Amino acid sequence: MGKMPGIVLFKDGKRLDGRGPHDLRKLHIEAGVLEEADGSAYVEWGGNKIIVGVYGPRECIPKHFSDPYKAILKVRYVMSPFASADDHGRSGPNRRSIEISKVLKEAFEHVVLTNQFPRTQIEVYIEVLQAEGGTRVASLTAAAVALADAGIPMRDIISAVAVGKIDGTLVVDLGKNEDNFGESDVPIAITHRDKEIVLLQMDGLLTKEQLEEDIQAAIDASEQVYQEQARALKNSYEKGERGKLKM
Amino acid sequence: MIDTEKIIVPGELIWEKEVREPNTEVVNGKTYATVLGMLREDRFIPLELVYKPKVGDNVIGIVTDVRHSGYSVDLNLAYDGFINSKFTRVSFRKADIIYGKIKFVDEVGGVDITDAKRLPTGKLMKVPASKVPRIIGKKSSMLNLIRDGSGCTIFVGNNGYIWIGGKGNLPLVLRTIKLIIEKAHTRGLTDTIAAYLRSQGANVKVPTAEERGGEQSQGFEEGPHQDAPREKSEEKEKELDIEEM
Repeated sequence: MGKMPGIVLFKDGKRLDGRGPHDLRKLHIEAGVLEEADGSAYVEWGGNKIIVGVYGPRECIPKHFSDPYKAILKVRYVMSPFASADDHGRSGPNRRSIEISKVLKEAFEHVVLTNQFPRTQIEVYIEVLQAEGGTRVASLTAAAVALADAGIPMRDIISAVAVGKIDGTLVVDLGKNEDNFGESDVPIAITHRDKEIVLLQMDGLLTKEQLEEDIQAAIDASEQVYQEQARALKNSYEKGERGKLKM
Repeated sequence: MIDTEKIIVPGELIWEKEVREPNTEVVNGKTYATVLGMLREDRFIPLELVYKPKVGDNVIGIVTDVRHSGYSVDLNLAYDGFINSKFTRVSFRKADIIYGKIKFVDEVGGVDITDAKRLPTGKLMKVPASKVPRIIGKKSSMLNLIRDGSGCTIFVGNNGYIWIGGKGNLPLVLRTIKLIIEKAHTRGLTDTIAAYLRSQGANVKVPTAEERGGEQSQGFEEGPHQDAPREKSEEKEKELDIEEM
């Protein structure tokens, strides 16, 4: 993060890729893409390509992690070595991905009805195949669809979107360059029904008023994300062809 | 165009009033879905569901461990179920497939099984638990249809395990069950399946509405499948036991 001299991110009401300040990148979600997982989803959001698999509730390993009152959630976010132009080294967990896994897990703990499955674990595996800014919100969006696809009871669907500031303008859904060279990046996750904020992080600086404006913009934008999530879940049934079958 | 219902996603409003139904949640006097499901004739039917064991459910399991006190059984759940030696006169071996009834579920999801019987060699398949009521059908109409069409003996566990045995057309059963799962959310499922079985050369009779209990919608009742099919299954089981010996 940090402004680079000579880089213009916002000009004549348009951003680098020609979007207006409140436009989202192209978003497409598909549910039920993996055969062996209990639930799965694939998201293409701008240049992001993320696949999510959900397993469980199943036996909690190691056993001393289990909770006799509720299921525990395990979220594993990893970025593939070929995910972006930067070098990501090996694809195992690193400092950044451990942090993202933690915040995503805490977001889902607000909506998943874990008390229905005592002493079990629900695993959410998130693989970022290609990254172009905003992978944590895209991962969260896809993981919400995958959890619903797995039949895991949830209070609500979480939709997430990043908002921020580039060249002094508040924008929605930041891309890679806007994220790296903009002034601020605020990923926000919101539950659809109650508009509860379950994830809010901030990189860079914003005034109190700007942050409030950003949050409102995120709530408006998350509605579009929710529509795509709901469409993805409904679509596989409305086409009339569906069935996960294990023999 | 396949006739489908209104699909509801988790957190979506189902009814403006308070309705206590499984897989829903009441918030401020309104009822919301907690799983992906559909609305049919003012009933919320889940399409994706994690199986939760209930007392009285018929289940199929695989014996995973033999101990002095009893047997551990894989029931397609997070934790193995248990058959107490005290409550069974039959002895099992590891990897036996059993058909039993859930006797007790404790507060952390531990399951005790009773009335366990060993099933002879057959095909064991796994289906999503949310599709099991459709495979059984109203008053087991669907199950009887597949049985008649294929000549196989079929046992369905509420936990999503299905055992298929006997000298019948096994590939046809597998294809039919796959079709039921794919079309589980469509209307007129029994007729669709009957037509499919007929197109595959099986001689089946579609049960009339009266035989299905005067219900217009077919195969969508969670149904008391313990009553009707059990007698029939037990008959067939006797046959099979003799066959095996």
